[in-house]
Amino acid sequence: MAERIDLEVPATLNALSTVRMVLGGLGARLDFSLDDLEDIYLATGELLRTALDADSLDRLSVEVVLDDDVLRFSAGTFTSAKLRADVIRHAEDCLDLCMLLRRTVDDVRLEDKDGAFRVVLVKRRRGGPA
Amino acid sequence: MSGADERRVKDPLDLQAHPGQARAFTAEDEEEASSRGGPTADAQGRGRDDSEKLDQYLLRRYHLHGDRAAREQLITMYLPLVRSLARRYASRGEQFDDLVQVGAIGLIKAIDRFDLSRGVELTTYATPNIVGEIKRYFRDKGWSVRVPRGLQELNIRLNKVIDELVPKLQRSPTINELAEAANATPEQVLEALETSQAYNSVSLQASPNGEGGEEDAGLIDYLGGEEEAYDTMEDRTTLAPGFAKLDKRERYILHLRFFEGLTQSQIAERVGISQMHVSRLIRRSLERLREEIGELDAPPVMRPSGDDPH
Repeated sequence: MAERIDLEVPATLNALSTVRMVLGGLGARLDFSLDDLEDIYLATGELLRTALDADSLDRLSVEVVLDDDVLRFSAGTFTSAKLRADVIRHAEDCLDLCMLLRRTVDDVRLEDKDGAFRVVLVKRRRGGPA
Repeated sequence: MSGADERRVKDPLDLQAHPGQARAFTAEDEEEASSRGGPTADAQGRGRDDSEKLDQYLLRRYHLHGDRAAREQLITMYLPLVRSLARRYASRGEQFDDLVQVGAIGLIKAIDRFDLSRGVELTTYATPNIVGEIKRYFRDKGWSVRVPRGLQELNIRLNKVIDELVPKLQRSPTINELAEAANATPEQVLEALETSQAYNSVSLQASPNGEGGEEDAGLIDYLGGEEEAYDTMEDRTTLAPGFAKLDKRERYILHLRFFEGLTQSQIAERVGISQMHVSRLIRRSLERLREEIGELDAPPVMRPSGDDPH
């Protein structure tokens, strides 16, 4: 059965540490390997840093869902067209945000609602104990 | 222009005849300057051209005649620019007033180092100086994070435990496995790993574990044997201006992670350093890239250039 955790944190870099600790704890419960956890840290860290630069937010909403061997991370709510483009647009042979996300998580999605959007990152467990 | 020539230049605003007349910037001026795109909105109700002339005049007064009052007037005139730039970084957890003070240091450096012969506007020269000083402040703050000794020790222990477990398990260990091997709880392991963020700015000359003895060789020595591998690295990894600012091993590690798809544990084995060091180097490299090419509002994007790293 899926388990969902909602967080609302100040939209500052200091809050990223809180988000990381929550993700680490949940990832540990799924028996994610250290490599997988590092991927999640990198993906969420780069996404949120870019989002804080691109969007004017007071609060950041983070949702994490654990389901079997999958961790689903969602953050928002954003309105920046630049952030949207950065997440989905990749320039060939460039290490941009889009590529970094694709290389660190299994799925990247945008969820639109009322003219704003959330960014969803999905990471599956692999490489851990059988 | 020689000093004698300079003395013959007509004072464009006739300030020489009326020293000290330029009034200080007020809050209203800042608002107006901000709405008009920066400090070129002048403090005396003149247009942009006059403001630039005033800049040049004051810069000449200071650099050629040592006029400290001209320097102070320039600082006052450009504080709205500092505030405007500091505001962009105010959401990162530092006090706005602190950022303004730090940015003002960058402004003063820009004024002091301004080269009259280069024909650029002070705004153009001062902006990267101010932003650079603010970014340096954030980077230096990273050094000052105090980590409790117990967590530091667990962090060091984990470093060794990971190195032992990866070859034994033939895969990256889980948090629970690390906790068991390090005789700690999973929560303590996560907390200790989080402290490694505090070493984000670790110097390549610094010991990777903070201890002396034979392990005090520094990261640079751990990475020294990879020169041949760097030379075989595909050019596409290093085509970007941001990458050009990284050293070879940082480029190599980013190449292995993001272009070759190796995990951090695999990179650690390939390069001969610990997984935790790989993690720090990747984070540090991304941070440097972000600083280098992020400019003011850009994302951490590395665009191609024709640079050849070899």
